[in-house]
Amino acid sequence: MELLNNFGVDPVLLIAQALNFLIIIFILKRFLYKPILEMLKKRKEEVETGLKQAEEAGRLLEDSQIKEKEILKGAKLHAQQIISDAKLQAVEEAEEIGQAARLRAQRLIEDAGRQIELSEKETEKKLAVYVSKLAIELITKSSKQLFSDKEQREIVQNALRKFKQ
Amino acid sequence: MEHFAGESIFRLGILNVTNTLLNTLLTDLIIFSLVFFIAKNLKSLPNLFQSGVELIVEWFYSLTETISEKNTGKIFPYFMTFFIFILIANWTGILPGVGSIGFFEDDRLIPLFRGATTDLNTTLALALISAVATHTMSIRTIGIKDYLSRYFSFNPINLFIGALEIISEITKIISLSFRLFGNIFAGEMVLITVAGIFAFLFPIPFLLLEIIVGLVQALVFSMLTMVFMAVLSTPHGEHAKEVSH
Repeated sequence: MELLNNFGVDPVLLIAQALNFLIIIFILKRFLYKPILEMLKKRKEEVETGLKQAEEAGRLLEDSQIKEKEILKGAKLHAQQIISDAKLQAVEEAEEIGQAARLRAQRLIEDAGRQIELSEKETEKKLAVYVSKLAIELITKSSKQLFSDKEQREIVQNALRKFKQ
Repeated sequence: MEHFAGESIFRLGILNVTNTLLNTLLTDLIIFSLVFFIAKNLKSLPNLFQSGVELIVEWFYSLTETISEKNTGKIFPYFMTFFIFILIANWTGILPGVGSIGFFEDDRLIPLFRGATTDLNTTLALALISAVATHTMSIRTIGIKDYLSRYFSFNPINLFIGALEIISEITKIISLSFRLFGNIFAGEMVLITVAGIFAFLFPIPFLLLEIIVGLVQALVFSMLTMVFMAVLSTPHGEHAKEVSH
């Protein structure tokens, strides 16, 4: 005890210091450690969740890239199929169109031939009529002085008959 | 011998308010200011200061977790508080004005403030709290039976070991309190002596040394407390197994 007295140990002061320290522990525990440790824990959880989500997103991205490749591959094959089908169809249709055009052209040529034949015949008729008229006129004019009216009429009618034949 | 005790500034009933107690209150003021500043500005997205605080707290927590995995939550507040309190108390002891500003009584300077840890009352109080908290924690964690089996046994050899354990527990209090008190008190004496020889520039290396000593002593006291708590909170058999391994 004397040693403690020599070092100035005072029980009241000792208790005061002890109480003071207990108060500090309480305050630090309540206002410093608890909120900081809770925040660190929360942040750790958030980081872990974030990492998990990033991992998940990476996996999803990888999956979607594989799917994209598969879809693109399918689409490419489908497109090639469509193109080859279209080519085949185009060839068929071109053949059909060509055939139809040839038939139509043939029909047109035939029609044109018939029309030409008809117009030739008509022209021939018109020419015959015109030539008859000219012949009658020529006969009439040349026989006026040589024949009587009656003879003239007979000659003309005879000529007309001949022409008609 | 008179100088070991803190000098009385005034009396408050039965409480003798000494300059070391005033320094303790100054330490409290600094700690509370820091705590309330940190608590008020605590944000999810930390700034540089908060990051520093979080880093320190996390480091201490991880260290406690490494030593005592199961009882980290119980031990950590004591470990960290001992460190903060002793560190600030040690460092406030070397602040300009502390130990040099005061009043004269019988031709002797009575400083208004004197390092809190240069008073055995402070260090002994801390050591007693450390011991009481350690033993209370031990009883709560391992149970009274296992706790008592550490000191008392029907086996004469174990009983002898138990007696040695009791002595060692008392020694822990003495060593914790006197180590801290002795180092800081001696440092203060060195500073006074050096400043007495040549007051300008000469004490600077010693002041730097005292800063390191203050940090080391705070760390030693708090770490020893943490280790004692971890050891006494481990069941007796388990501890024996660990040692035998």
